[in-house]
Amino acid sequence: MAGATSDPRLESNLLATFFLQTTMDLVLLLQRVFDALFNSAIYSSLALALVIIFRSTGLLNFAQGEMATFTAYIAFVLLAGPQPRLTGGGLAGLVPGVPFTVPLAIVGAVLCGMAVGAATERVLIRPLGGASDLALVNITIGLLLATNSLMAQWWGTGPRIFPAIFPSGAGQHFTILGARLRYSTIGVWIVLLSVLILLILLLRHTRVGLAFRAVSISPSNAELVGVRVGPTLMYGWAMASGFGALAACLSANSVLLEPNMMLRVLVYAFAAATLGGLDSPKGALVGGLIIGLSQTLIPAYVPFIGFELSVLPALLAMVLILLIRPAGLYGTKRIERV
Amino acid sequence: MVDDVFDEVGLKVENLHASYGAVEVLRGLNFEVASKGVSVILGANGAGKTTTLRAICNMCTTSGSVVLGDEDITRTGTAEIVRKGVAHVPQGRGTFPELSTMDNLMIGAYTRKDNEIRDDIDRWFEIFPRLSERRDQLAGSLSGGEQQMLAVARALMCRPRLLLLDEPSLGLAPLIIEDLFERFTTLNKETGLTMLIVEQNANLALEMADYGYVIESGEISLSGSADQLKNDPAVQEAYLGA
Repeated sequence: MAGATSDPRLESNLLATFFLQTTMDLVLLLQRVFDALFNSAIYSSLALALVIIFRSTGLLNFAQGEMATFTAYIAFVLLAGPQPRLTGGGLAGLVPGVPFTVPLAIVGAVLCGMAVGAATERVLIRPLGGASDLALVNITIGLLLATNSLMAQWWGTGPRIFPAIFPSGAGQHFTILGARLRYSTIGVWIVLLSVLILLILLLRHTRVGLAFRAVSISPSNAELVGVRVGPTLMYGWAMASGFGALAACLSANSVLLEPNMMLRVLVYAFAAATLGGLDSPKGALVGGLIIGLSQTLIPAYVPFIGFELSVLPALLAMVLILLIRPAGLYGTKRIERV
Repeated sequence: MVDDVFDEVGLKVENLHASYGAVEVLRGLNFEVASKGVSVILGANGAGKTTTLRAICNMCTTSGSVVLGDEDITRTGTAEIVRKGVAHVPQGRGTFPELSTMDNLMIGAYTRKDNEIRDDIDRWFEIFPRLSERRDQLAGSLSGGEQQMLAVARALMCRPRLLLLDEPSLGLAPLIIEDLFERFTTLNKETGLTMLIVEQNANLALEMADYGYVIESGEISLSGSADQLKNDPAVQEAYLGA
């Protein structure tokens, strides 16, 4: 009968529509992945900072995000030059007379971050070495609040425009299979991967790196081979806060600079670090990717999870992975002595 | 105060007290270690042997005085004491289980700035070929005997002048213990390294030591040359199983 054989033209039309639709879906998926990559890099950088400190001291530094934002303000001040309106109250006398270029301001911010990190270890953490870890974690929460208020006091709570580090204008992207990969996304990944590689080389192939690993395994045994534990930990805090500063400066353009800028990022970075295994730099990277991607993709494809609930998938991913691997994806299970 | 027993004193401990919190573990120890000699401290579990070594390295709260050569190190920090040439193989061996054998040896040489570190590592690999075979393995995956070899090699990588050994025989098979103690003797004869060994295995320890002390509830109860102690009825009964 007529119904048994369908119109070949209609069939090819349907097929074409189907392919077109699928292609569009795939392009959209790729676009979402590309978009998520930028945030992923930021989460990974801050997670790296958390991992470095956890590895060496067994502490979670809740102030990591605020310390990072603080350094982004430093970069902001360096960029602005001597404009009293923009200069933080306490820093007015220290601001250089000439505005810095963007890369130089970021180097300044990273150096300042390292100094702040080192000082935090020396002044707040080391003298309380005998206190319990929980007490020290509470101190970092106190530091979070103090830093946050200080920034509000000096620079106000209004958002500031932070210059873009990488070209991020309308047309500045590659087009791959119809999806746009922005230069700035590539830029943050290049920065993130280079510092990560540098960190791994430092840990694996230098004397300081070896001392750092020894201290993170056993401070008392490290001391027995002549490693000065205090200063080694201080380098760790400096390094971590340097990473934090980088994370803040890289994201300040897209989220606008304000005192609470890194608060959400910190939550995601915590999730990323936990997911990856709190003591693994590689885990921080992979964790940041998983959190960044699931935060974008799951609300997009699972209708009942709206974008407002985008934290949920991250939390679920974390719980699932910790159920299966309590040490996280790449975290070391401590080897018990025989 | 005690008179010097030896011509040349490597380590002199006077009126050493040590406590963990409210518990006093050492109650006024006096003893000496001859330079280039091997001294042993015997004692039962809980007598304070481990604490004595920890106190020498300032790893617990102490009072009294500890003099290394002619330098007072009572108030010196642990890392600084190591830098002055004291190597300590603690109980639990002091190796880093999550580092490779090679890295453990490298970190042992942390205080050194010379360029003979690689040569020293090669020498230890010659002495302990088992370690050479396992150079890239994590220290935590080595057998007990291999870990003890690594611990000793790790401690000697800093080229110390005084080696403190905390129960090196603990948990090892008798053959391995014998081999290990033979190596200690050779090491002492060849390099003149001063050693202070804390042991429960009195037989072996007195075999290689020149001089010995017996510690009971945080005090030295007996001292003398190794031969004297071997023939002492009290030592025989309590430590030699005679």
